[in-house]
Amino acid sequence: MNESAESNESPIAAADGAAQILDQRYRPYDGARHGLAGAMRAVIVSSTRFTLGLGRPARHKFLPWLAVVIALVPAIVFVGIATVLDIDLISENILPEYHEYYGYIQAALFFFCGIVVPEILVADRRNGMLPLYLSTPLRLWSYLASKAAAVTVTLAVITMGPLLFLLVAYTVEGSGPTGIGDWLTVLVRILGSGIAIAATMTAASLAISSLTDRRAFAVIGVILLLLGSSLVTSSLVETAELDSRLYAFNLFEIGAALKDRIYGIGPPLQFAGDDGAPGRRLSELATWFVLSANAAWVLAGGAVVWWRYRRIEATQ
Amino acid sequence: MSDAAETVIASTAALTQRFGSTVALDAIDVQLRSGVTGLVGANGAGKTTLINALLGLRAPTSGLAKVLGLDPRSQGPALRARVGFAPERDVLPGEMRAVDFVRHLAQVRGLPRSEARTRASDSLWLVGLGEERTRTLGTMSTGQRQRVKLAQAIASDPQLVLLDEPTSGLDPTQRSEMLTLIGEISDEHSVNVVLSSHLLNEVESVCDHVVALDAGRLVASGPLSDLIGDDEGVTLELVDVAEPAGSVDAVERALRAAGIALERAGTTLRLGGLERDVLCDRARDAVADAGARIRRLEARRRSLTDLFETAA
Repeated sequence: MNESAESNESPIAAADGAAQILDQRYRPYDGARHGLAGAMRAVIVSSTRFTLGLGRPARHKFLPWLAVVIALVPAIVFVGIATVLDIDLISENILPEYHEYYGYIQAALFFFCGIVVPEILVADRRNGMLPLYLSTPLRLWSYLASKAAAVTVTLAVITMGPLLFLLVAYTVEGSGPTGIGDWLTVLVRILGSGIAIAATMTAASLAISSLTDRRAFAVIGVILLLLGSSLVTSSLVETAELDSRLYAFNLFEIGAALKDRIYGIGPPLQFAGDDGAPGRRLSELATWFVLSANAAWVLAGGAVVWWRYRRIEATQ
Repeated sequence: MSDAAETVIASTAALTQRFGSTVALDAIDVQLRSGVTGLVGANGAGKTTLINALLGLRAPTSGLAKVLGLDPRSQGPALRARVGFAPERDVLPGEMRAVDFVRHLAQVRGLPRSEARTRASDSLWLVGLGEERTRTLGTMSTGQRQRVKLAQAIASDPQLVLLDEPTSGLDPTQRSEMLTLIGEISDEHSVNVVLSSHLLNEVESVCDHVVALDAGRLVASGPLSDLIGDDEGVTLELVDVAEPAGSVDAVERALRAAGIALERAGTTLRLGGLERDVLCDRARDAVADAGARIRRLEARRRSLTDLFETAA
């Protein structure tokens, strides 16, 4: 911060005699203005910092960074093992491959979406920031897009961060992809699957968060959606032996299925007692169906948020 | 501000806003000029609805609005980059520092980060919160929070600031200070201000122009000096004394004989029809001749309250 902004001196400075120089500092501004793009950038940066607890009291930092640690610790452990044991651990099936790491970050994703994400929308409505934002170059769609982008970026830290760390560490250690082509392929798959999963989870979390002004209700709603969709669909498909397309309603599994398609492999999900009967495996779902199901989650979540905020805007 | 220097900063033509069967704004035709404009009316008169329409936050049912030469509906983002706004609602993010709050909104209104940081601090100094700028909003009093709202509205150097009930929740001293501050911002920094209020004396004390609304209808608009004035005659109140008997009647007769328009209510006479100084002289003479005693002799001025009472 510059001297003018930080100084504690009074803006009224007395000169000798009766004369005074009244410097109120505030003066006209005729420099550049960044318009809508600048407004969106400011909201994205601010919301990302808010989500991660940056610039906020310590109690707000604990949960988001705990989620990041939960996601990252297994990767650090694997890299440590790979460093200590001087063999190609991936090809020996001792360490998980990149696509298999998703299982280790599900808990962090659940934690982050359930506890941290709801605050990003709820707080603005509770704090009266929404009318202020809408009095700026932002419009409703650009405000919501900025919020969604902030959540997606933050979630991508969890979905991509540990995998990028693994990729770099494995490469340095000598267990990484062979050749620049393979390396870039893995990189693209990490980025693609990370963004895809983050987008689906973002839409679902924000949709629930938009329905209430109470953070506690939003947290409960998101957790119920994540857990409920997983438990109910798993029970229906595995126990009741209904059509496996019901997995489209399972937020975690349909995201995992898309990730597997991006990696070009069948999913690792083989349920206990699965006898291979038709309609009981995620791997049997057509790729277009998996893609459509994920897109449907994003679109439905976006539609709920839009519908809800149009109503809120009308009553502001 | 002189009339010659005044320019139209906003105008509406038959602006109508309906919510179902409720008419919030009824074909409002008004021009807002530079300086400080007071938007007055009771709660529910349509003040906030008009502000929302001028900001382009709500599409009018019919009619047009133009602010700073821009159409709020089709050119809303460009317009709002040049307009500051402070809502009535006294809810701000309590854990945020005042300077961070103001800086963030200046950035959202388009200022570069470094400029926003400097101007946030400068704006807080201007509203008298320079020493308090690093305090969190949740620890501030209502008066300080109203000043923070004003600071965020002016931080991006807008051409026009819309303040919705800026004195809401303030005690009389704070209210006076806030109005003085608003006047200074307009006078010294050439920021045009539109403030809404349901307190007519507030508007009279600081505004150059007035737009008066009642149940969505335009009651009056124009320069304050045209709408109210002190040329409404003189009020003469006499003491009803026993000796000399009939002194009040004698004064009334003398004044009527002098050609003064007069309304009487008990011992109070409302005089008019001539210059104020002449009325005072005649009243003094009549009272002296009749041996009456004066309780009160004062110039009568038309206030915004009279304006609303007339409209009602």
